[in-house]
Amino acid sequence: MRSIVNIAATALLALLPLSGWAAERPAMTPGMEHEHRNHDGKEGAGPPGGESRQGMRASREWTRYPLILPVMAPRGERGGNTLDLRNIAADVLDVYAPDGSPEQLRRQVPTIAGGTRVEPVSSKNGNYYWVTAREANEERVSVASTATFFSNPGAAPTALLLQAKHDLEIVPQPLPREHGSYRESEKWKFLLRYQGKPLAGKKLMLETEFGSRIAFTSDADGIATVLFPYDFKAEEPGKGGGHHGGPRRAKFVLAVEHEDGSKHYLTAFNYSYSPDAERGKNLWAGLGFGAFGMLLATPLLRRKKSNGEKSSQ
Amino acid sequence: MLKTLFPTLGRFRLAVQIVMLLVTVYGSNLVGYYMAEKISNALPALSCAYDQQNGAYCVLIPTQHQLHHRVGEAIVKAQQFTLQMVVPLFFTLLTFFAFFFVLSKAFCGWVCPLGTLQELIGKLGRRLNLPLRRFDNGNVGKVRPVKWLMVVILVLLLPLLTGLGVTPHSLGNPYCDICPSRIATTLLTGSTEQLALRSGDGIAFALGAIANTLIGFTLVAAFALRQPFCRICPMLGFNAAFQRLSPLRLVKKEHDKCGKCGICAKACPMDIHEIAREHGAKAYHEDCTLCGRCVEFCPDDGVIQMKWGPLTLFQSNREYYKQRMKGEMPEGTLKPPAASRPAASGAENA
Repeated sequence: MRSIVNIAATALLALLPLSGWAAERPAMTPGMEHEHRNHDGKEGAGPPGGESRQGMRASREWTRYPLILPVMAPRGERGGNTLDLRNIAADVLDVYAPDGSPEQLRRQVPTIAGGTRVEPVSSKNGNYYWVTAREANEERVSVASTATFFSNPGAAPTALLLQAKHDLEIVPQPLPREHGSYRESEKWKFLLRYQGKPLAGKKLMLETEFGSRIAFTSDADGIATVLFPYDFKAEEPGKGGGHHGGPRRAKFVLAVEHEDGSKHYLTAFNYSYSPDAERGKNLWAGLGFGAFGMLLATPLLRRKKSNGEKSSQ
Repeated sequence: MLKTLFPTLGRFRLAVQIVMLLVTVYGSNLVGYYMAEKISNALPALSCAYDQQNGAYCVLIPTQHQLHHRVGEAIVKAQQFTLQMVVPLFFTLLTFFAFFFVLSKAFCGWVCPLGTLQELIGKLGRRLNLPLRRFDNGNVGKVRPVKWLMVVILVLLLPLLTGLGVTPHSLGNPYCDICPSRIATTLLTGSTEQLALRSGDGIAFALGAIANTLIGFTLVAAFALRQPFCRICPMLGFNAAFQRLSPLRLVKKEHDKCGKCGICAKACPMDIHEIAREHGAKAYHEDCTLCGRCVEFCPDDGVIQMKWGPLTLFQSNREYYKQRMKGEMPEGTLKPPAASRPAASGAENA
C-alpha cells in the first residue's frame, strides 16, 4: 500500500520520481542474524551533538561495548558539546577536526568524570568532528568512536572519515547530513578497516538501546550494509519528542572485533537513530489536506465568461 | 547555434529553469552530499533542506534557525543583546546577498523549483485551453501584502519568539512547516515523508495541514492562475527587500504609447499592471520576478530593458516581438501553427 501511495503521490506531479534512500521494512537477509531483547531501563534519547540527557546510566544495561555519549547542554548553550565515556577508561579524548592546521586536525582533550567538553577549533572549519577514546594493554585494544556536530560551516567530513586513526576502525559511508539521521528501516553503509585496509567477511554487531542485537557481515570491499531495526518503543507518557519537538532519537552502537596474533582489538562506533519516517505521521491525513487544497482551487478551472474574467480563448 | 536552440528569451529561461529544477531538487548527486558541499545554504530560491537530494538550501531555513537558536536563546541566556548573537545571521545574509547581487530576483523567475513547477503547470493549462484568471488592477493590491506578512510573522517573528521561549518549539521554523515547496520537492525525489502529517502535536499537525492544503491548491490553481503561490511567497518579499541593491534590474523608459496597449502587463505572470503605465523605479515592482516576459512582449524598441549595471542584457524590440507573437499570446496561450490559423489578430499588429 505504501508503495502505491508513493507512486500515486509522485505521479501527481507528473514528473519522474528518483528514489532516495528508500526505506524498507527490516527483513532477515542471508548473513544477518537478529536477536531482540527487551530492556526496561531505558531513559530519554538524544543524538550525538548535545541532545542526550545527562546521567544516561541505562547505557550499561543495553550494551557492553564502549561508548562516547553526548550530555545534554543547558538551553541556549552553544559552542561546545559535552561527551561522556561508558564501558571504557581513557585519560584523553582524541578529537579530529575536518579542517585546520596540523595542531587543529588532531587534539587530545583530557577526560573529566561526568562529561568532557569538546569545542570546535574554529568557527569555520566544518560541522562534523570525529571523537575517539582508546584503552589498551598488552592483550587488548578497545576504541570507542563517535561523530559530533557543530553548527560551523566549512569542510565536508569526507576526508576526515577516510583518514586512518586507529588500527581497527568503523567508518560511516557517509554520516547523515544536517536535517537527516540514521533511521529505522533504512540501510546505511559502514567501512570496516584494519591498519588502513578493508576487512572483508568480518562480523559487525549492531546493538540498540531498545534491545536489538543484529550481526552484519562486510563484503569483499569491507563494506557492511546495516539495516536499522524497526524497534522504537511507544513513547512514555509525559515524555516529549526529540530535539525541539523533532523526531525522537535513540542510541545505537556498532562494534567489530579482530584478532591479530595474541592481540584482541575491539572498536565501536556509537551515534543516534530516529524512528521510521512513517512513525507518528499520518500519510492519509496529508493526502486528505492536499486533496482539500485541490478542491478549493477547482472553481478556478470552471469556464465562465463574465465580467472581469478572461478566458484563454 | 545558441539562437537555434534558444530562439526566444522565454525558451532560454525555460531551459535554465529545467536545469535549476534538477540542481535544486537532485543536485546532491552532482555537487556533493554534505551541507558543506552544497552550492549554498542561503540560496535566494526555495531549494528545500528537507529534500535529501538537493543541491542547495534556501536562505529562509537558516534565517529561521538563527533567530530561533542563536538570537532568541542567546538573549534569554545573556539577558542582553550582543553582536555575537547576530553574527551567524549576518553571515547568512551576506552569503545570500553574494548570490542575490549577481542574479537579483531572477532567482524567483529563473531558479526557484516551485516557481518552475507552477509555470510548467500553467503551460499545461494553456495547452489544455483551460480558462486563465487574472488579478485585475483593483484586487491585486489585496494579495500583495500577504508576502510581507509571511516574512515578518513566519520567517522573523515566530522563530525569534520561540527562541525567547514565548511560543512552543513547534513554531521554531513555521515557514518551512507551511512551505509547499518542501512537499513538492520531496515528492519529486519519491519521498512521501513530508506529505504525511505529524500526529500527536496539534501545532505541527495544523502547520502541516496548511502546507498540504497550500500545495494542493497551488498545483490545481496553477492551471488557471499564473504563479499562484509566488504572489504570497516570503522569498519574493525577502528578495524584494534587497532588489534595489543588485545591479540586475528591469528598466523602463517613458514612452508616449505606454499605458495604451497594455501588452506588457498582460504578459506579466504576476499581474503587475504598473509595468504598462509607470516608468523608472516604479516600473520595477516589488512583485517582479525578472522573468523578462514584459521585455519580450513590448512592441517598441528599447522601451523595456533587463540591465546588469551598465550592460543591457535584453531589450524590447519590435521584430523580436513580432516573432514572439507568432508562437504565443502575451498571457501564455499557445497559437496553432501558422498554416492552420486565420490571419493575425489585432494584438499581433500592435
